[in-house]
Amino acid sequence: MHQIMIVEDDVSIRDELALLLENEGYCPMPVEDFTNITGLMAENPPDLILLDIGLPGRDGFSLCAQIRKTVSAPIIFVTSRDSGLDEIRALSLGGDDYITKPYNIPVLLARIKAALRRNGRDSDTEIIETGGLTLNLAKGTISNGQDAILLTRNELQIMACLMSRPGEIISRTELIEVLWDNQIYIDDNTLSVNMTRLRGRLERLGLRDLIKTRRGMGYQI
Amino acid sequence: MTLKGGILHFAFMAASAVFLLATGTQTGVIVILLIAWGITLLCVQSAGYIRRRNRLRELECIMDELDKKYLFFECIPRAPGAYERRLFTLFRRAGKSMIQAVSDAQAAQQEYREYVESWVHEVKTPITAAQLICRSAEPPIRQKLTQELAQIEAHVERALFYARAESPEKDFIIRQTNLEDIVSEAVSQHRTLLISNGVQVETKDLEHIVYTDGKWAVFILGQLLQNAARYHGDKPMITLSSRLLGRQVQLTVHDNGIGIPAHELTRVFDRGFTGSNGRSRGGSTGMGLYLCRKLADSLEMNLRIVSVEGMETTVYITFPVRSPQSE
Repeated sequence: MHQIMIVEDDVSIRDELALLLENEGYCPMPVEDFTNITGLMAENPPDLILLDIGLPGRDGFSLCAQIRKTVSAPIIFVTSRDSGLDEIRALSLGGDDYITKPYNIPVLLARIKAALRRNGRDSDTEIIETGGLTLNLAKGTISNGQDAILLTRNELQIMACLMSRPGEIISRTELIEVLWDNQIYIDDNTLSVNMTRLRGRLERLGLRDLIKTRRGMGYQI
Repeated sequence: MTLKGGILHFAFMAASAVFLLATGTQTGVIVILLIAWGITLLCVQSAGYIRRRNRLRELECIMDELDKKYLFFECIPRAPGAYERRLFTLFRRAGKSMIQAVSDAQAAQQEYREYVESWVHEVKTPITAAQLICRSAEPPIRQKLTQELAQIEAHVERALFYARAESPEKDFIIRQTNLEDIVSEAVSQHRTLLISNGVQVETKDLEHIVYTDGKWAVFILGQLLQNAARYHGDKPMITLSSRLLGRQVQLTVHDNGIGIPAHELTRVFDRGFTGSNGRSRGGSTGMGLYLCRKLADSLEMNLRIVSVEGMETTVYITFPVRSPQSE
């Protein structure tokens, strides 16, 4: 499990972020004492650091420079300051990414994943397996062990979302939001069309009723 | 010579003539005396006039060549006459106090801008916290709250860019940016509003490099997307596409919304102009497009808006060619 250190002075954000990361399968390390961050890191080296720029007593820039001397874990700046100069400064001081508040939560998660992957800290091979089904995101295929069929970009994202959370009901709005985060900007009607087509394709694998419609709530695998 | 001075002069000439006549001077002598007097007066007056005219021309030349006109009294050569010198000293004092007042006002504006910026940055922290907390709320409440938070965010962002646009120093950074990234960032920022209005967004041919400040461009595009989402018609669809115009890149934002009446088109970029659409729907501030124009001017981007009422609106954004200095 990846350890993610959260250096953030706002208590509500720190707590909520820790909760969010925990739900996403990471191991959050919220920092409450900003005086000995490097000591904490030496004790328990994190895989990634989320760093706020505006910290009490010192700024994230100098902290970043200091961390960089000893730690190679990727640093993602999370800040409400959004001037281009701040961004350049953050990246030139050894930051790996720069996200401005208020951030889009899926975007934040995607950036964390990408930073971990770039640093070889992620073993995610872009394959999702659930109930005997294998979804290969790189190849764009789904297989039941014997046959494999090709999916379109939209169908792939829908399947990825449903398969990564088996048993959970995912609402249409949530599904649309996930698609939008992947640069597929569709509305409710188009989602219905895509669902019908996806079910038609799954029928060829003998999985016509794989995706269940929970009326008024959403979809479920 | 003033009119008063002239009358006084002639009165004195007449009085002298009467006095000389009364004391028994010959009429011929008086006439010669008066003519000589008149000629002398004319010479002196016209020499004075020419001198003053040349002086004024010289001063006008200095004024015309000055870049900062308010420094005029600091730049003129030393005045020849004591009267003019004292007058200029007075003007210089007035000018100095004016410059002081202007720079005080500028400093105050700068402070205000800094305050607005820091306030915006501070308020973003609780917005972020609220968005995170929102995730654990019940879906219907969560959806409503997310929409409200998105609106707060949009207002806050406008306030920030208002402070930036009105400030004399434009602190943007022109960088090489992918148009695709600008578009997906803008769509992502406003996805809550777009999704809740049932808008479909189509993107095509966006693989171009533009030279601009990414954040400012995202803001401008965001305002256009918000307008398209707000003033939508049936089956709302926004199409974003781009093409090369010589060496320039033109981004087209097209929507099939309610459009803008022809007689209002020329005024949509005016500050505070809400138009009949804005008034009938409410919630319009008349600031969005005004800020777009203002920021676009700073970035040397061209904005053009075309609309057919009840059918569509198209905004053309033309990005400048990369200037040689920035290479």
